[in-house]
Amino acid sequence: MMLQILLALSAVLFCIGLLAALTRRNAIMVLIGIELMLGAGNLNFISFWKFSAHPENLTGIMFAIFSIAIAAAEAAVGLAIVIQVHRRLHSVDVNQANELKG
Amino acid sequence: MHDFLQKIVALPWDQSPQWLFLIPGLLMLLAASAAVCLRNLIHSALCLVLSFICLGVLFMALGAEFVGFVQLLVYVGAVAMLILFAILLTPAGEVAASNNPLKNFRLSSALHAAAGAAITFLVLAGLLTAIFFSPRAAHAVLPAQAAAAPVALIGENLLTHTLLPLLGIAVLLTAALVGAALLAKEDTSL
Repeated sequence: MMLQILLALSAVLFCIGLLAALTRRNAIMVLIGIELMLGAGNLNFISFWKFSAHPENLTGIMFAIFSIAIAAAEAAVGLAIVIQVHRRLHSVDVNQANELKG
Repeated sequence: MHDFLQKIVALPWDQSPQWLFLIPGLLMLLAASAAVCLRNLIHSALCLVLSFICLGVLFMALGAEFVGFVQLLVYVGAVAMLILFAILLTPAGEVAASNNPLKNFRLSSALHAAAGAAITFLVLAGLLTAIFFSPRAAHAVLPAQAAAAPVALIGENLLTHTLLPLLGIAVLLTAALVGAALLAKEDTSL
C-alpha cells in the first residue's frame, strides 16, 4: 500500500508540472513545469528501487542519479534558449515565438 | 553538524509509521501547486525550491541518502539559481497581452487553459486508475526492503557497471555547458 501512496504522490506531482507546461504562457514557467515532471520521475525510480526484489543492485539509484544529471543539462540549455528568445523577440511568451510557423 | 547528520541517518526510519512519509510528500505537492499558480515569478521560483527540498527529504526518508543530497545540491543549489537568474534577466510578468490586437484574445486564452486542464485531468485519472485499480496492482507489490545505498557501493557501481554511461554523461554535460554559454552570448550570429 505504501508503494501505491508514493506512486500517487508522484502522479499528482507529474500532473501539476504538466498543467504548468501546458497552460502557462511564460517560457520560464514551462521550464519549471518540466523540472517538476522530472522530479516526479525520480520519485518513481526511488520508490520502485525501495520496493524491488533486489535493492542491493542499486538500479533505481543509478537511474535517478543519471536522470538528475540530464535534468541539470536540460535546465542550462533551456534557460539559455529563453534568454536568446527574449533578446530577439523582447518577450518570453511562448505564443510569440512562432517565426518558424508555416 | 556531522554528528547531527549521522543521528538523522541512524534514526529507525524503517520502523516509523507509514503516514510519516506523507508530511514531506504533501508539503511538496502544496509547494508545487503554489509554484504553478502564483503570478509572481520570483515567488513561484522560491516555492519550487521548497518543493525540491521536500522531494530531497522524501528521498532520504526512503533510504536513498546519496540521491537526496544530490537532489539538494543540484536542484536547490544549481537549477533554482539558474531559474532565478533567467527570471531576473527577462522582464517580469506575462503582460504581453496588451499588444495583441485580437479581440477574442481572452476567449482563446481561456480555451487554451481549459484544454490544458482537460488533458492534465485525463492523464491524472489514467495514472491513478493504473496505480490503484489495475488487476496486477494488488499482488505485484513486494514488502518494503530494508534498503540502503551506501556511498561506497554507489561509487563502485558507477565505476564498474555504469562506467560507459558515466563517461557519456560527462561529455553531455560539457557539451551542454558550452552550448548554453554559446547560446546566451551577447553578440551571437545565430
